[in-house]
Amino acid sequence: MLEGKAVVRETDMPEGMQSYVMELAHQALDAHEVSDCQSIAHFIKQKLDEAYGPAWNSVVGKDFGSCITHLCGSFIFFRVEMMEFLIFKDGKNFTESREEAIGVLQKARNCD
Amino acid sequence: MSEEAKKNFAGALTARPNSDEPKPAPVPAVPPKKVIIKSADMIPDMQKEAVDIAVAAFEKYNVEKDVAEQIKKEFDKRHGPTWHCIVGRNFGSYVTHETNHFVYFYLDQKAVLLFKSG
Repeated sequence: MLEGKAVVRETDMPEGMQSYVMELAHQALDAHEVSDCQSIAHFIKQKLDEAYGPAWNSVVGKDFGSCITHLCGSFIFFRVEMMEFLIFKDGKNFTESREEAIGVLQKARNCD
Repeated sequence: MSEEAKKNFAGALTARPNSDEPKPAPVPAVPPKKVIIKSADMIPDMQKEAVDIAVAAFEKYNVEKDVAEQIKKEFDKRHGPTWHCIVGRNFGSYVTHETNHFVYFYLDQKAVLLFKSG
């Protein structure tokens, strides 16, 4: 269970939505093992699809880099202690989107 | 150099009797990366393309986000937007993707997730 406060690294998302996403992250971390990144990612994506409509994408882990395109107003990258969260939405019916390249430089320990 | 070559040759000779475990002489070329397709909803040709582009990207860049960027942009160019790429050693994800446009594979120790949506 990770008690740490969430630290936003990058975001393009309304304040209220940010708070909700980070609350979901804490809920997910409470409900799942820290090493079970996929279940945590699944939990967050599912809740967001319900709350804000499909289709959200969720990536959780300690060591990854990425390049994605997201709908404007629907992107956040934050950290809760040593876990990194990349959450974004990509909709078909919109033309306005933005590319983001995210890097997580912390090395993974042998705890997979 | 001559001495080293001789040593290698000798090594190869001594290895020969052990037919159970023949060891190839060391080659100067970089050994090919081990590729494991973990999960795919993608036609084989496109899968191979993804792997080839990833191999090239890893040779060119050291930072994971640069590798991811290279792969994503190449696929946006070749197969139309919008692709997303995650590269790393430790992550889990849950995504929504278009049918026939998803692949998740390992290149040695690095995982590559590439999918299209939107």
